[in-house]
Amino acid sequence: MKPADEIKRLINKSDVRTSSQVDKRILGEALEHLEKLKQQKSAGTRPDIWRTIMKSSITKIAAAAVIVIAVLAGLPFLPKNTASVTLAGVAERLGQVKAIMYKMKMHVTGSMAPGMPQVSQDMESTIIICNDFGMKMEMDMTDPNTGKKMTQQMYVVPDSKLMVMVMPEQKRFTRMEFSDDLLAQMKKQNNDPREMIKQMMGAKYTDLGKSEINGIEVEGFETTDPAIYGGTMGDVKVILWVDAATWLPVLVEMDMTINEKMRITGTIYDYQWNVPVDKSIFEPVIPADYEAFPKEGMKMPEMTEEAAIEGLKIFADLCGHYPKQANMMDLMQEITAVMFKQVPKERPGDMTETELVAKTMETMRPVQSFALLYMTLVQDKKEPVYYGESVGHEDVGAVLMRWKSAENEYRVIFGDLSARTVTGEQLAELEKQPLK
Amino acid sequence: MEDKLLVWRCKRGSRDALARIYEKYKGDLLILAIALLNDRSAAEDVVHDVFVGFVEAIEKFRLTGSLKGYLLTCVANRARNANKARHRHSVGPDPLEPVSSAADEPPSSIVCNEELQWLSGAMAQLPYDQREAIMLHFHAAMAFRTIAAQQGISVNTVKSRYRYGLDKLRSILDSESKK
Repeated sequence: MKPADEIKRLINKSDVRTSSQVDKRILGEALEHLEKLKQQKSAGTRPDIWRTIMKSSITKIAAAAVIVIAVLAGLPFLPKNTASVTLAGVAERLGQVKAIMYKMKMHVTGSMAPGMPQVSQDMESTIIICNDFGMKMEMDMTDPNTGKKMTQQMYVVPDSKLMVMVMPEQKRFTRMEFSDDLLAQMKKQNNDPREMIKQMMGAKYTDLGKSEINGIEVEGFETTDPAIYGGTMGDVKVILWVDAATWLPVLVEMDMTINEKMRITGTIYDYQWNVPVDKSIFEPVIPADYEAFPKEGMKMPEMTEEAAIEGLKIFADLCGHYPKQANMMDLMQEITAVMFKQVPKERPGDMTETELVAKTMETMRPVQSFALLYMTLVQDKKEPVYYGESVGHEDVGAVLMRWKSAENEYRVIFGDLSARTVTGEQLAELEKQPLK
Repeated sequence: MEDKLLVWRCKRGSRDALARIYEKYKGDLLILAIALLNDRSAAEDVVHDVFVGFVEAIEKFRLTGSLKGYLLTCVANRARNANKARHRHSVGPDPLEPVSSAADEPPSSIVCNEELQWLSGAMAQLPYDQREAIMLHFHAAMAFRTIAAQQGISVNTVKSRYRYGLDKLRSILDSESKK
């Protein structure tokens, strides 16, 4: 035998046994350190960061913007059906529209989480969308704490893959980078009315028959199908009123509740079709003395499986379990409720509020990725099912989330956050397995 | 994936996860430390320090390769430091006494089998660098270039240490067989 093989054999055959006393000596101190870390963490900076975030006026604006974006994102899912002659006509008419301008009013009431202040906020926006240049939204709202009026402009610039939010009162602006996937999704949702109609086809709706709005004869369609918002909201009720003569939308009425704690009502109205637009309208106007917040810009959440798994990890890290629901609003409420209960400590002295907010928003990005992935899967009719209420990280082989990836093929994320593709038969077996 | 999950649970403060990592890898870590130091007590200290260090750094720790490889590298680094410290305090050669067998050990200590006793005794007769090259290559399954990169030396140096070490071990083996 060669000496190398002989030595290798000796090494492979080497064995060692330890008594429980040795194990205790070796591991005891490490376990004590772990315990201390756990205690520091539970009373640590994260809850304070969260509290600061929720108090921050910047965040309030951002939160309001998120809601508006969610509603805008929901716009494509207004109810319609190929079987309906009227809605097919709407689709055809919208197919000829290059640029749309409309107004939106929203009223948000309730609390993000138990123990948090009740909110009652009104927002009014004017939105212009052009297939070629992007989107611009001008939003006015009132700070419920101070009563002060605030304005905000939001631009979506597809060519630069950027979303820019300008906050004149704070003299700040935020640049958010899109991933290609998200940009494609936004284009699909907001910039292509034909796609909007196609998305609506899948929702269950009721024909309300004819009515009259401002002297215009309209036909109404109502849906309470949560799928219209891609699973981002809880209970929903949306009514679309269409001009019976032109077959173009006249009014959208929305009423949404989230976990019975928060309610959003709103209308979309004053539609103007094929408005003349100039590219310069869609170019962000940022005065020289405005500060970038955060300085290095932000990235929009990705909608990939990897980012979603990272989000699940972070959520479990913060909350001790996986999210109970996969929809964005419930998820954000759940994490807010958990964080708000924690005992606050002093903010790290070397961080400004701005840095703190930016850092936390960055941390939360993968959690939003998870909700965005779920939303996309709902929208794409990939039959996602999420078992966060019953599956924990100890359920290693249990199905945490799954969706259809091809005919008789499903992508599965397991309790241990591994992922693989299985057949329909394998999935049925997996879903029968008892949980720990 | 299991290791990633264990690390993740450790980050969340799971004692069970840390204990599982210890149970899973303690044998490999102790064998490496004993073979490098030929001293069970020092080996125990090294593995102890590795786990304490692991927990201290857990918040920022990101598992990019294998957890076993990471822990073995930590053991090798700390064993090297322990060896240097030992030489600073003692001018004599490495202790050549082989690690003891189960029969002559107190109940609370580490028990090595015959192969490990022979291995550590033989290794103790090599210069430390040669032991390290052999153990990291065979026991930690590290490529020469990885060892070289970690120690900041050339691949040829690692290979030379490995070859000289093997030659020396062969002569030790031969002399043992003649007895």
